[in-house]
Amino acid sequence: MQEFLVYIALGVAIGFLVKKYFFKSKKKGNCDSDCGC
Amino acid sequence: MKNNVVNVALVGNPNTGKTSLFNQLTGLKQKVGNYPGITVDKKHGKCKISDTLTAEIVDLPGTYSINPQTLDETIVLETLLNKDNDSYPDLIIVVAEVENLKRNLLLFTQIKDLQIPTILAINMADQMNRKGIDIDVELLKQELKTEIILISSRKNIGIDNLKKELANYKNWNTEPSAKISEKIDAAYFSDLEAKFSENSLYKTWLLITQQHYCHFLTKEQNTKIDIVKKDAEKIKKYQHKETIFRYQLINDILKKTYKVDKATATDLRSKLDRILTHKIFGYVIFATILLLIFQSIFEWASFPMDLIDVVFANLSELAKDNLPPGIFTNLIAEGIIPGIGGVLIFIPQIAILFLFIAILEETGYMSRVVFLMDKIMRKFGMSGKSIIPLISGTACAIPAIMASRNISSWKERLITILVIPFTTCSARLPVYAILISLIIPSERVLGIFNLQGLTLMALYLLGFAAAISSAILLHHILKIENKSLFVIEMPNYKVPSLKNVFYEVVEKTKAFILGAGKIILALSIVLWFLASNGPLKYKNAEQFVPSLEENTTVSNEVLQKKIASYKLEHSYIGYMGKTIEPIIEPMGYDWKIGIALISSFAAREVFVGALATIYSVESEGEDVGTIKQRMAAEVNPKTGEKRFNFASGMSLLLFYAFAMQCIGTLAIVKRETKSWKWPILQLTGMSTLAYIVATITYTILK
Repeated sequence: MQEFLVYIALGVAIGFLVKKYFFKSKKKGNCDSDCGC
Repeated sequence: MKNNVVNVALVGNPNTGKTSLFNQLTGLKQKVGNYPGITVDKKHGKCKISDTLTAEIVDLPGTYSINPQTLDETIVLETLLNKDNDSYPDLIIVVAEVENLKRNLLLFTQIKDLQIPTILAINMADQMNRKGIDIDVELLKQELKTEIILISSRKNIGIDNLKKELANYKNWNTEPSAKISEKIDAAYFSDLEAKFSENSLYKTWLLITQQHYCHFLTKEQNTKIDIVKKDAEKIKKYQHKETIFRYQLINDILKKTYKVDKATATDLRSKLDRILTHKIFGYVIFATILLLIFQSIFEWASFPMDLIDVVFANLSELAKDNLPPGIFTNLIAEGIIPGIGGVLIFIPQIAILFLFIAILEETGYMSRVVFLMDKIMRKFGMSGKSIIPLISGTACAIPAIMASRNISSWKERLITILVIPFTTCSARLPVYAILISLIIPSERVLGIFNLQGLTLMALYLLGFAAAISSAILLHHILKIENKSLFVIEMPNYKVPSLKNVFYEVVEKTKAFILGAGKIILALSIVLWFLASNGPLKYKNAEQFVPSLEENTTVSNEVLQKKIASYKLEHSYIGYMGKTIEPIIEPMGYDWKIGIALISSFAAREVFVGALATIYSVESEGEDVGTIKQRMAAEVNPKTGEKRFNFASGMSLLLFYAFAMQCIGTLAIVKRETKSWKWPILQLTGMSTLAYIVATITYTILK
């Protein structure tokens, strides 16, 4: 069960990073300080 | 006009003292205040102008122009355009404020063009000497084709002169002050004049440019206007031209008639400006303020930071002791909690930095800094406007690069974009803070300054110096034609609003924590997984390490440590780190730091969280301690010295000062320059510089 939870967490983390850096969604309005750098 | 009674409209920008003048003229006691928007509806009162003439005065809401945006501005326009309105004026008093005459004259020229008898009352004239203002009233009268009276409604100065002049209104010049038709499109406006001969040309133009239905016109009149309105694009274009033309005209007139001599001004604002923008004291004061900020960042933040660090170390222990044993518990205790702790620990420092920046912006001091720095920036091939993005860059390079859009010269803008990433952004602060606390002793210099605070300030100045040096270089290398002009309006000084400062600090800190926090959390999970798994050697560590001859006699505690180190070295992340180790070794880093360097390419502040995760995995089963303790305890096995000593620490500090460790910034540079050429140049140039400087630093200091 713990192993299963780890793989889910890993999948979500990789999915988030790939989406963040490779499939950037268009932002509404201006960029604020929340720029991820 | 009623018998012996004239309707007088009081019109002006918000906060010019219209209501004060209304009270002086009518003897009424309407509420007045030192902020815009006191008058939001019209107010009526009577004033005896002469023995034979009485004025019915209407105080209209403040407006910046008669192209209405809000309801109270619409009230002004309808009063001035609707002849059937009970308040339709026989004459108009435009109230302007002596210090902001340029902005006020935009409204005046529009009103004057309606060809209703109009007089200009320049209020707060009693402040002219104190502010060093000199107006050639006679010449201004000629240029604007109007009567002008200098008044002070608060001190009751010039009110009698104004009344005398009002009595003479039938002799006023009603010629328009700006002939917009000739400048914009003479043929188009002649056609309009012919079609709407019942109105003055400017009234027709205002009716056409209204966004709302004019209820006071007949159906036929509205239909006629709607036909002209169909060419909306042309109307919009001509409206823009009109505003530009009016400001050009106002500028030309004021150049001849309005002088401000700051040297003779004696008001508080002028006195402060003289000191804060002084060619020597200005820089000394700015440097002192910076020094105070960086001292405070270390002095005030140390206690809450230590507290957060201890809380997260205890949370890790608590998770390990109370959750069911297993790899998900390990992920929480060794990956997620240290990773999040690695970013939350910097909330106090980030909040203090933003607190100071918000206060400086709120007080109006930041504009003086921009003015002060303009003199320097010009020498380095940048615009005075470049200083705004450069200062914004202390928060984040991305909005700063976008802020460079208002630099009109492409060369100056490109140079600004390329050098912004050198300024110390808030993402560098966590890296600097932890490294400084590890390698620089918390000692007093000259009994006042904290050495750690001085080091942080030096790194910020280094960032600016690197930006400026690169700008000089690029100014000479880039062969692009350049022409630009710098204009900045200085706001008045004011006591900062606590509410504004509070929201600014909360919003910016929240944005930093949420933005960086999500990336750090995700990377912590990935790094933990890569550090907690590996190929065959990793899996066999429990059997292999105890079987080594050298380990047969060691205690169980030492043996467990050796197994953890062996596992980390042979984990996936270990292999990755070992691959790049030869490249980073000249800078004084091992493969573990190398992993943190690569991870922090996504976001600089990930560096600390990544190291926290790696060291947590390595210290499996032990009391892990705080992030700082773990980094301080790390030893270089080859030399037996601390891994984060003065030489490697300085090398890392300088690496981060110069390196382009931010994917987001590269993406935004590509978008703003519409080319991959510039971000690639930026990445290569900054990374090479960082590598060379870090290597030289380590070689000299080791």
